[in-house]
Amino acid sequence: MRDITKVRNIGISAHIDSGKTTLTERILFYTQRIHAIHEVRGKDGVGAKMDSMELERERGITICSAATYCDWKDHAVNIIDTPGHVDFTIEVERALRVLDGAVLILCSVGGVQSQSITVNRQMTRYRVPRVAFINKCDRTGANPDRVIKQIREKLGLNAVPIQVPMGLEGDMQGLIDLVQMKAVYFDGENGDKIRIEEIPAQYKEECDIKREEMLDAVSMFSDELMEAVLEGTPTEEMIMAAIRTGTLSMEFTPVMMGTAYKNKGVQLLLDAVVSYLPCPTDVDNFALDLDHEEAEVKVSNVSSDPLLALAFKLEDGRYGQLTYVRTYQGTLKKGDSIVNVRTGKKAKVGRLVRMHSDDMEEIDEAGAGDIVALFGIDCASGDTFTSGSDYNFSMTSMHVPAPVISLSITPIDNKAQDNMSKALNRFTKEDPTFKTYVDQETLETIISGMGELHLDVYVERMKREYKAEVTVGAPQVAYRETITQRAEFNYTHKKQTGGSGQFGRVAGFIEPMEEGEYEFVDQIVGGSVPREYIPSCDKGFQKCLDKGALVGAHVTGVRCAINDGASHAVDSSDIAFQLAAQGGFKEAYMKAKPVIMEPIMKVAVEGPTEFQGSIMGSLNQRRGMIIGTNEEDAYTVIEAEVPLSEMFGYSTDLRSLTQGKAEFTMEFATYRQVPKSVAEELIAKALKNKKQ
Amino acid sequence: MLKQDLIEKNPIRHLKGESDAKESSRMGLVMARPGVGKTALLVQIALDSLMNDKQVVHVSVGQSLDKTKLWYDDMFKDIADGCKLENAGEIHDSIMKNRMIITFNESKFSLAKLEERLHDLVQQNVITPSCMVVDGFDFAQTDRKVLEEMRELAKTMDLQIWFSAVCTDGNECQCASGVPAPCKGMEDLFNTVVLLQPVPQSDCIDLKVLKGSAAVSKCGKLLKLDTRTFMIREDCK
Repeated sequence: MRDITKVRNIGISAHIDSGKTTLTERILFYTQRIHAIHEVRGKDGVGAKMDSMELERERGITICSAATYCDWKDHAVNIIDTPGHVDFTIEVERALRVLDGAVLILCSVGGVQSQSITVNRQMTRYRVPRVAFINKCDRTGANPDRVIKQIREKLGLNAVPIQVPMGLEGDMQGLIDLVQMKAVYFDGENGDKIRIEEIPAQYKEECDIKREEMLDAVSMFSDELMEAVLEGTPTEEMIMAAIRTGTLSMEFTPVMMGTAYKNKGVQLLLDAVVSYLPCPTDVDNFALDLDHEEAEVKVSNVSSDPLLALAFKLEDGRYGQLTYVRTYQGTLKKGDSIVNVRTGKKAKVGRLVRMHSDDMEEIDEAGAGDIVALFGIDCASGDTFTSGSDYNFSMTSMHVPAPVISLSITPIDNKAQDNMSKALNRFTKEDPTFKTYVDQETLETIISGMGELHLDVYVERMKREYKAEVTVGAPQVAYRETITQRAEFNYTHKKQTGGSGQFGRVAGFIEPMEEGEYEFVDQIVGGSVPREYIPSCDKGFQKCLDKGALVGAHVTGVRCAINDGASHAVDSSDIAFQLAAQGGFKEAYMKAKPVIMEPIMKVAVEGPTEFQGSIMGSLNQRRGMIIGTNEEDAYTVIEAEVPLSEMFGYSTDLRSLTQGKAEFTMEFATYRQVPKSVAEELIAKALKNKKQ
Repeated sequence: MLKQDLIEKNPIRHLKGESDAKESSRMGLVMARPGVGKTALLVQIALDSLMNDKQVVHVSVGQSLDKTKLWYDDMFKDIADGCKLENAGEIHDSIMKNRMIITFNESKFSLAKLEERLHDLVQQNVITPSCMVVDGFDFAQTDRKVLEEMRELAKTMDLQIWFSAVCTDGNECQCASGVPAPCKGMEDLFNTVVLLQPVPQSDCIDLKVLKGSAAVSKCGKLLKLDTRTFMIREDCK
């Protein structure tokens, strides 16, 4: 078993197209896991190793986070390559949960883009220490200093460069390491021969200044270094130790640079991962004690303790279901029996493998802090495994955002029908943001998720992996309904049909609430509604929430209270009170002035300045509220809040408007009330659908 | 309190001139040492225009979009809470539609660019501002000419423009007469010049009107600001 202090679980995350996958590819090459470099969109057609899914290779983007493992200078490094697109946020979040440290990649030209901000926020939420890597320094317009400034301003990180580039853009020759004060060149066809030399004279002065700045910043984290700096004798070890302390405390972010594509700086980044990012024992992970009201308990990271492992990713590979797990404490051994805390079911560890994107390596056991994959274990992602049922802990539940867009899918024939349900079953297990249900009125299957691309990818995967051809309906925005004022009800449900009838009367009110979806308040005094029927009322109200009376959207933000009622000794029943509650809700609902809410997306469009006017016009047309513009050198970033329903097909419009020179990203921001004219339209449409 | 009351009660009107009639093509300047509340007062001025259903452009030099937006959200919330504004959420949503933030990097600011941007906005029918606040404009680095051009712009676009400037010299800030550096000798370009000064051991900020219309002097030239909401206090003594 490995020494736990020599394990690094790191993630690589960044904005789309800033070169995560290319960088990972280089890392695998230098650590000798792969023996040839394939480009993401390379001409050889092999595609990058990490993008194993056919679709990923085709589109040149990473969809699923892939896990891989490599060795660097006697350390074991587990790398999770995370997707950059916002629609796949859940993959990023899940990956972050199991990571101890991360590399934040930024493009030297694009700098801190909207997705970098999202990812950074997520990393802060999960307290993931990070180092920054400014990639693509070979591109025209590369300006690491500007990017560093942006990291400080936009991400609020104490970013300090520990390297100085020798030349930028086309003539980048190498890097100067400010810790060792040496120039590093990357020779050979693949940059694998490292040559260390003295710093060239023309960079000397700049390096002295930058080193001074860096020492100033890191000496905050080590008194020893502070003294040594004052005496003028800081050693390499001292500086590195201080950088490490600073990085782990998340109060310092070392910044490195290079260009993965041109093979520069990757080895130094690996050195930094090993030197500055935490090992599993350096970070505190917490489990929830289910026996003690989910109290937080720190995991021990000791291999001899009872097992605690989290399944963070499922994959349906060609060898059956593959479950990626991270062990937090204890040992996962082949042949051991483990318990799924959620279901309470026992399972036996069959094959245990270490993953390398889509190749694998059989192993017998995995100690605390490791990331491995299991075969043939039935579970959903986010499940916790322990060594026995008496050990009732769960790793924290993960933050799952609600889907904002949905569309109907119809299989083209019976065979496709079977395959489709198989595929849906699999996808919903893999991805908690992907949901599916059957619309009771239209009997259509509805899938919902985080964005157009998100659903696109699943429909595409259904076709390719499950041979389920489906016709896809127009995307629908997940509207919501909520009420704006308090309204009372007093409803009697009475039905007399020969035998025992149904009787129940409930009175109370519904009112809006600021936070939360639904709350039930029982204000019955004196037993006017018998105790046993109170839960029936709750159930009745909840049934009404699925479909609001305005447009049939989900109703949220409602507090339902009952304060009076009546029952009948013989005719009252569970169902009678459920129906009474439903009747009461319906009676009060329209009086409570219901409104329709729609998802609003935060949209950021980046484009050349000359198109700024027309971009703004296009957002304006789409009911967008332009928040502002930010002038960078030759391009402008426009930020706006736009209703999701207006964003369909925007990429095409934007492309034709700007000759393909602008790109946009969007992410869910909030729900907001739709304007009156739109609301009327929606209501009319809903009415028409109902009649049909 | 209702929105209308808030508009009428807001003493910022004293600063902006007597009535709406002469509001356009005025230039105002807020000066203070760093950290006293220039941005806050500018946002307050902008919010007042927004409350009047006017459209506002906020030009921020050297500050990010998100930060500037936060200023507005926080100030609005403080004001709304402070005077118990009804329907605050709705009013917020409706007035923020009339606000547009343009941010520049410190080195990238140029009048030509700003002008182009403003014309774009009007042309695309995104916003037709009647008030513009410029925060972080570097007076030390600009000469008179740029400001004269700004005045021209204010006139042609029918704009009211408010600037903020950092007093570089602490001592001169103390002296009551005259406009301190770096805006010395430029006061003729502005209709109103105010200086913010913290009052020791109190929750007030002195608002000294160095140059202003008669409407202001009626109040006795020395107004006080509440440090939290930056509303000018009514008990201006």
